[in-house]
Amino acid sequence: MAKPLTQSELEAYLDEALPVDAMARVEKALRDDPKLAKQLIAINGRRDAGVHSLGEIWRRHRLSCPSRDQLGSFLLNVLSDDVAGFIQFHLEISGCRTCAANLHDLKSQQSDEPAVVDNRRKKYFQSSAGHLRRR
Amino acid sequence: MVPLAPSDQLLVNRIRSGESEAWNELISRFEGRLLAFVEGRLGRRSAGEDVVQETFLGFLNSLPNFEDSRPLESYLFSIAAHKLTDHLRREGRRPTLPLAVGSDGNEWEPPDRGRAVSSIMRSGERKGLEEEAIVEALNEQIDRLRGRGEWQKLGCLELLFVRGWPNRDVAIQLKMSEQTVANFKFEFLARVRTLVRKQGLSEDVFPELQEND
Repeated sequence: MAKPLTQSELEAYLDEALPVDAMARVEKALRDDPKLAKQLIAINGRRDAGVHSLGEIWRRHRLSCPSRDQLGSFLLNVLSDDVAGFIQFHLEISGCRTCAANLHDLKSQQSDEPAVVDNRRKKYFQSSAGHLRRR
Repeated sequence: MVPLAPSDQLLVNRIRSGESEAWNELISRFEGRLLAFVEGRLGRRSAGEDVVQETFLGFLNSLPNFEDSRPLESYLFSIAAHKLTDHLRREGRRPTLPLAVGSDGNEWEPPDRGRAVSSIMRSGERKGLEEEAIVEALNEQIDRLRGRGEWQKLGCLELLFVRGWPNRDVAIQLKMSEQTVANFKFEFLARVRTLVRKQGLSEDVFPELQEND
């Protein structure tokens, strides 16, 4: 039987902040158990009423995330064992998707075809530059 | 609160004044990490690129409301998370919540559509101040743990608060007793509570601080 979800896990789900497999687990649970949706609505209600959760604030401000520079040093294997160990933990056990994305991006910079990256950036620019003047 | 870095502030100001080079620079700096974030969830490159495109448009549209006290990267990731959520709802992968308890559950509306705007407006400034105080308190604790090299304790607190794991699961993962986990949590909350009291903020809006009082 699947473990019950904690309120903090549900909050993280609403923030799209759980690891991908955990997000899928919540989505499945939501389909199987209509009561869970009521819990999520109640969380939104509390948020609307101005109630804070430490996890929500911690995640939003990425308070314990390593900096991008530290992630770069992690890739280069030049950090002390303790710091590197925490970053590994943060990525693999805490499952921080934002840091994993940064790490993936840093790795990709070495391997991605520059022309492909350029085309992608051009596409983003061309589709949005028209909105720039109106800011 | 971690403020917007001066270089990011400059970049945002240039974008606000309509400088296309600055906009190009922001895209080049952030698109790779945003794409990795979105693609990791969607599992498909082309859909991921669409969501990143929407994220950049969302950023430009929200620029007049962007608070300079917030780090640029966190702000972009939060927009990406919203756009990703919308995309997953449209695909039917992410169930939509009914507008309120008691609705039939068939609507596919974002959960915040039913919010009373007046209540959000009324509480916005106060909530911001409370959040700032909590960020300061949490940062103080996290910096202290880092400074002392208490990495296991920091990891323990991450699992408890950021992932929302119950004490028992954290204890198993970290190979420590449940009592030790409970002690870490108690000590941490007590310090945060002290700071909140010092700032004269209401503890009613921080239910977790009352759990172990």
